[in-house]
Amino acid sequence: MTRASEKRRRRSVVARVLPLALVISVTTVVALGPRSPTRLVPALSWAPPSLSFPLGCGEAGGDLLALVAHATLRGIALASSVALIGFSIGCPLGAAAGLLRGRVEQIIARACDLVQAFPSFLLALVVLSAVRVPTRAHLAVVFALTAWAPFTRLALAQTRVLRDAAFVEAARALGARSTRIVLRHVIPNLLGVVAVQLGATAAAIVVSEAALSFVGFGTRDGVALGAVLDQGVSAMLRAPHVLLVGAASVFVTSVSLMVAGRAFDK
Amino acid sequence: MLRVFRIAAGKFVDALIVVVALASLVFLALRVLPGDPAALVLGDQATEFERAALRAKLHLDESLVAQYTRFLRGLVTFDLGESVRRPGTSAVLRVWDAALPTAELAGLAVLMGATVGVAAAIAGAGPWLGARHGWVDKMATALAATPLLAFAPVLTYALAARLRIVPLPGDPEAGALGLVFASGLLALPLSAHVARVSRAALDDVARAQFLGVARAKGGSFARVLWLHALPAAAGPIVTVVGAQLGALLGGAVVLERLFERRGLGTLILEAYASRDLPVLEAAVVFSGAFFAFVQQLAAAAHAMVDPRVR
Repeated sequence: MTRASEKRRRRSVVARVLPLALVISVTTVVALGPRSPTRLVPALSWAPPSLSFPLGCGEAGGDLLALVAHATLRGIALASSVALIGFSIGCPLGAAAGLLRGRVEQIIARACDLVQAFPSFLLALVVLSAVRVPTRAHLAVVFALTAWAPFTRLALAQTRVLRDAAFVEAARALGARSTRIVLRHVIPNLLGVVAVQLGATAAAIVVSEAALSFVGFGTRDGVALGAVLDQGVSAMLRAPHVLLVGAASVFVTSVSLMVAGRAFDK
Repeated sequence: MLRVFRIAAGKFVDALIVVVALASLVFLALRVLPGDPAALVLGDQATEFERAALRAKLHLDESLVAQYTRFLRGLVTFDLGESVRRPGTSAVLRVWDAALPTAELAGLAVLMGATVGVAAAIAGAGPWLGARHGWVDKMATALAATPLLAFAPVLTYALAARLRIVPLPGDPEAGALGLVFASGLLALPLSAHVARVSRAALDDVARAQFLGVARAKGGSFARVLWLHALPAAAGPIVTVVGAQLGALLGGAVVLERLFERRGLGTLILEAYASRDLPVLEAAVVFSGAFFAFVQQLAAAAHAMVDPRVR
């Protein structure tokens, strides 16, 4: 085995193990952890890591391990559902546009350009301020408004190649209808390329959610990765471990999601 | 000339569509979503009479169509009403006041990011690093994958709290050094993206025949690079800066919060916290408009230099 392929193999092992390890450990802490993320023990405010509190405590003595685990799990849940929504709207749309050609193709391609130029961060700010109690569902809707565009664009580009492929022509000659061609022949051939985009979209959403909660637009309960960072910044001098824990968890979560997408791309 | 005009007009229309879509969504979000904006602004203790007065002041008692025409007219004439929290100050004026510091921050970041990114790409393409030129690519890839939100607080902690080289967040006398540090943080991810794209573009150009001719004529590396390779690679570089503007805007909001700097981000947060709806609308729509026009300007510049993208 050459050195390069050995390296690639090792990388793909990392790609499969890192996201899985993250999800499993986070779920274990959420399911079996003894403490709730919102329980406060004022006596332990800003306590450094210790045996019973492996990541230390944050503002007013909240357990950071429980807080980070719950926040990560919720962030991943939000990001993967939005990425899946974008995928299930975007892929069929792009594939259909590619097969229908002509006007439809042009209009959809242009719509993608415009939507991708859309400042969705700003829109999220407004929607969150218009509702009384912001929840992750509101965030999901805002992000889903623009999340479909990259999937459509990829599917369209890939369909332009596939639509003239011999097996698609054969299927058409056998009398298959367009829906069948899209579902059975085009979409399966898109999956590799699109999986990478799934990971990238999910990672971007985790970071956006953390950024929104960092600047103060998060959900009310304060269980969000950005909220941990916010605590960390305000107590930078007193308790630097909070800041490091927050930054590391944002980094690990976003990289894991990105890497998870790559794992499916052969 | 006609061609240039047509490209510019096309991109202008694109930007206009984005702005109108954003403005309409903002308009609808504040009016159609359940919940009475007047109650949001005044809180639950307000009497029905106070709420009715505020609704009349914000024109919320008119029909939706009438409100929308008023809103669009306000956009064009830069008059979106008065700030609810600071009576007598127009919302647009407050946005304008806050826009300058943000423009400073983002402008400096674009300048630094583009310079550092292109310099890194040239270092990677040039003969100086020898076998180690792959390091440039690896660093750029790693940096591009690291969210600003993760490294900005850590770097700030290391450089401001531990080493004391830069002012601490919230220091009112941060001055120029504070601005340079904040823009530097904002520029880092941008420079990574610019470096990756320019590396690819320079590699692309390096295989072109005209570069071989220029080199065969005895042009030095610097001359070939400056006169032949960089102009040909400029298109993708401009495009990637345009494409990163959205991230830059979000990053500026995060950094303003981190350093407690005055700016659009802080204004939006303040307007959100105090439910100052006219200011919020104005801030979001005008920063969105600025963003869309600069982005389309970048796209137009690319289309004008590079006939392949049309």
